[in-house]
Amino acid sequence: MNEQRRMILVLSTIAIASGLILAGVFQWTKPKMDEVTQERQKTAILEVLPGAVSYKEVGNNEMVFEGLNGNNQRVGIAFIAEGGGFQGDISMMVGMDVDERKLTGMTVLSHLETPGLGARIEEESFRKQFVEKSVDDPFVASEDIDAITGATISSNAVSNILRESISRIIEDDQLGGSQ
Amino acid sequence: MKIWAEFIKGLWKENPVFRQLMGMCPTLAVTNAAINGLAMGLATLFVLLCSNVIVALIKHLIPDKVRIPSYIIIIATFVTIADLFLAAFFPEIQRVLGLFIPLIVVNCIILGRAEAFASKNNVKFALIDALGMGIGFTWALTLLGIIRELLGMGTVFGLQVMGTNFTPWIIFILPPGAFLTLGVLLGIINTFSNKKTTKTSCH
Repeated sequence: MNEQRRMILVLSTIAIASGLILAGVFQWTKPKMDEVTQERQKTAILEVLPGAVSYKEVGNNEMVFEGLNGNNQRVGIAFIAEGGGFQGDISMMVGMDVDERKLTGMTVLSHLETPGLGARIEEESFRKQFVEKSVDDPFVASEDIDAITGATISSNAVSNILRESISRIIEDDQLGGSQ
Repeated sequence: MKIWAEFIKGLWKENPVFRQLMGMCPTLAVTNAAINGLAMGLATLFVLLCSNVIVALIKHLIPDKVRIPSYIIIIATFVTIADLFLAAFFPEIQRVLGLFIPLIVVNCIILGRAEAFASKNNVKFALIDALGMGIGFTWALTLLGIIRELLGMGTVFGLQVMGTNFTPWIIFILPPGAFLTLGVLLGIINTFSNKKTTKTSCH
């Protein structure tokens, strides 16, 4: 009985101590992690919207942002496009010029594709193919877009995610035409 | 000197990867680039150091029957600390290693050292043992990463070294390349180390 009690006591103490320590470390790193997420989002938005110097969220949707130039005029919208890739979800920030109905840029926020193959969707040579494409473009990999060698599924996934989220964004009335 | 011997054994004679063949999951999974191997090795070294020291400190307090769950909680705590720390201060590395950091918990080299060494030795030796094993693990993973990155992408630590005419052998950065590289390295190392392990205690 004594032995049992000691086992329970020791294991509980270790578990509680571990919980307390982790809570402390989490408190300490949380602000820094939020900062990193914010910073990454900001860099991505400004990257996909050339000419934008600041941005604001559109409506109450955390996935869509409006890019503003120095005179507070809208230069385009940026939105997060997400969907399934080869091994996990691919999340991208896409920039769109609403008036001219074309894409201004695309950057990958996160993905779980194969390093060295599918992961090359992050590379500039692949991403820049989407710049200047019309929003009505079907983005068919290996037709309109050069797919990555050995990573057809990842390339197709990017095209499909883009096509689907663009049509969803365009249907959204908040963005219908310029203000 | 005994301290020196405890340190040096992890580097070569009892190297976790090449001699003990422990921790094969991260060894094979993350070494598709030199930087990933190095980062994984260093993260493992950190967890190994902390868990070995704590286990050696409180080994007399832990009843024998609950020692394994206790060690696992201690290890898991330090792994989570490492994960949070990397996410906050080295987000790029954390992004690459992502999934593999939590898996350090089940890396048998860490529990193995806690059970086989730290629970039987004092803090000083546990620390030295963890340093040796951790560095041994790190150099092994970095070497695998360098070879696979060189053959699979023509680069080392992201720097182009093979010239533009080189056709990368993509298989080397894919899972089969890990087995091929490790197998060949083990063969080479077995040839050079005259002392073959005749009998192993575990199967």
